Amino acid sequence: MTTLPTPRPGHEGSEVPSLIAASLRGRRRRPSGEPPPLPRHINYSIRWYLLLAAVAAALLAGMSVPAVLGVITRGDLAVLRGIATVRTAWLTHVMLDVNAALTSQWTVRLFMLGIIAVLVAFRRFQHLAAYLVIVLAAVLLLSAVTPDIGRMRPAGIGILGPWQGYSQPSRPVAALALALVGALYTLVPAGRWRNRGKWAAAIIVTALCAARLYLAVDHPTDQLTALIIAWPLAVVAFWLAVPNEVFPISYRGGRKAHLDIGGRRGAAIVTALDHQLGLAVADVKPFGLEASAGSTPLRLAVRGPDGTETALFGKLYALCHLRSDRWYKRVRAVIYGRLEDEKPFSTVRRLVEYEDHLLRLMRDAGLPTPRPYGFAEMTPEREYLIVMEFFEGSQEIRNARVDDRVIDDALRVVRRMWDAGIAHRDIKPSNILVRDGRVLLIDVAFAAVRPTPWRQAVDLANMMLTLALANTPEHVYERALNLFAADDVAEAFAACRSITVPSQLRSLIRADGRDLIGCFRRLAPARRSVPVQLWDIRRVAITAGLLVMIAAAVTLIGLFQGVVGLL
Amino acid sequence: MTRRDTRGRSSWRTAFGALLAILTLAAAAALTGCASSGDAMPRCTDPLRLAIVAQSVPSASYLPCIRDLPPGWTTSDFAPAQDGTRFLLISDRSPAEPVVVELATACRFRFSGASPSPARAPGILSYIRLDSIRPRFAGRLYDVFPGGCVTYSFDFGSGSQIELMEQFERAVGLYPRQQLRLVLKQELGVELNP
Repeated sequence: MTTLPTPRPGHEGSEVPSLIAASLRGRRRRPSGEPPPLPRHINYSIRWYLLLAAVAAALLAGMSVPAVLGVITRGDLAVLRGIATVRTAWLTHVMLDVNAALTSQWTVRLFMLGIIAVLVAFRRFQHLAAYLVIVLAAVLLLSAVTPDIGRMRPAGIGILGPWQGYSQPSRPVAALALALVGALYTLVPAGRWRNRGKWAAAIIVTALCAARLYLAVDHPTDQLTALIIAWPLAVVAFWLAVPNEVFPISYRGGRKAHLDIGGRRGAAIVTALDHQLGLAVADVKPFGLEASAGSTPLRLAVRGPDGTETALFGKLYALCHLRSDRWYKRVRAVIYGRLEDEKPFSTVRRLVEYEDHLLRLMRDAGLPTPRPYGFAEMTPEREYLIVMEFFEGSQEIRNARVDDRVIDDALRVVRRMWDAGIAHRDIKPSNILVRDGRVLLIDVAFAAVRPTPWRQAVDLANMMLTLALANTPEHVYERALNLFAADDVAEAFAACRSITVPSQLRSLIRADGRDLIGCFRRLAPARRSVPVQLWDIRRVAITAGLLVMIAAAVTLIGLFQGVVGLL
Repeated sequence: MTRRDTRGRSSWRTAFGALLAILTLAAAAALTGCASSGDAMPRCTDPLRLAIVAQSVPSASYLPCIRDLPPGWTTSDFAPAQDGTRFLLISDRSPAEPVVVELATACRFRFSGASPSPARAPGILSYIRLDSIRPRFAGRLYDVFPGGCVTYSFDFGSGSQIELMEQFERAVGLYPRQQLRLVLKQELGVELNP
């Protein structure tokens, strides 16, 4: 392959001077044992739930001893006899109706299947998986406990309602509570609506419990253990599997990846940046949310030593972003094959470390990327905030005037990346900014060091396509020949496919209407296309793994259908 | 900033971890069938578990229970309810055709054509009605006693039917209700109604 030499010194990409000097005065090392800025939250209700779980475990253990079971049963029967004193014909009729309505297999099954349908419709697959697994585990736990205790129905009192199976724990109560808790923690947004929902669910479950006690179908302790298994333990399981901080439920539209930066997190951002990076943050606002899916982008107003405020750019990374990054890379590996290095990150820390490293590397290579200010730990291994320069006064390239200076500058950025052995891998208009006629490159998180020649060629093709949107392909090609050999351009468009073009750029090309890729191919020397669909063992394994996961999900739903029948 | 005590948090974490481990083990046990749910039908030696059968037919003076399960036999689908109790007895020699055992206040199936069989316990009348001898050995066995009836529906392949009949008759025992009342009073201090 023929390539042109590196441009002479002074002709590299834009240089960006540092804007703010972080102060060492505010920095402070967190001593061992002190909580991080945003400690993992265990609220009081979760603690109470755990305490109740211990009560249930003690009750269940006690019931396996006949003497203890006798004491508990006599206590239960005393309560039931007291309730039986208020029995009247009309009240019995009402209680039978309540019991029939709330314990119907159809009521519970339709409710549970409705939850699955809504979760699928809103593509909330993490919640769906958690819901299926938690309900299955709870049902199996109930199924295991029931015959082990083998408790009879209330004795010595007329049982007025229908019943089936052993008494402890009360399966109809558990089924209803499980269905309601599942709906609350997978469908209802946390906060006011969920709190209201909890009250509504509590009223419904209380009505069922009251009806069944009145009818003397269950002992009070049967209902107590059923409620503890199906409510507090399920809540703790949902809290662990789909914590609201990581998987927030929202129906407002927009990206699901964005974290709420108010409340505890807002305060933690200020503390973390002060203690760890020496930055005095005056204000934090979400910024450019619509263009970002892999992090929560922020605009940080930072007060300098002289009191002046400067804007910095921050990206908040949490477990949800790590998971979406993993999925993104797996899908890309399936689509692209072994031409891409698509190893997922193992932790959020590694993900942020990598971006910070790339920012520094690119600055060292003289690329016009944001100046890095380091990153701060919010919650160890779970949440980090990376801080970099905010390109104040810049605009996206498609909104800027693209003259020869901008075209040359943009192509020079690619040239410099080639020389530095770096590929950006996400060249598209929203990642190319223009300020004072100079090109700036942002969002380096996907960049790779020593990438494949194919990937470098794709970067050039995407940059030329971006420039051609605001100019003519002929003119862009002509300017490119000042920095690249014709064979380089030919290779770029031989490697270019619809799938290698970022979706934003692809949709803009489609809206433009011109056959830009075809035009560049005609201008450049003829070259055989570089194949994309290359298979190797890893790609086959990932593809097979994805198919197995789809099959497992279908099986899980089938199993769910069968096991819910146990309730 | 003052240094915060994290000991309370650690103890919660420990408790939480222990609880999670217990739950995981319980779920795993249930999933792998290690829990005792596979033998849900109460044995005659476990009267406290048998009480639910007594409650399903309050008039029955005898209650079916597992006396001596021969090798190769299992029970499943134990379903006591307010109108009777039903469970399956499955032999590994005839897994597709389990013996269905049902306790009810009265014999639900046609009793005509049944011939007396040796009584299985004092105070009990036993009858057998064969619907087919070849190619299948199928029919019903009835244990009739005051306030109840136990029906055994069987359908075995010819050849091994005599041994299978003997085995399942030996497997199911009949527990006197009066004795159960005494045990419940003594062990739990409760009165079995009526």
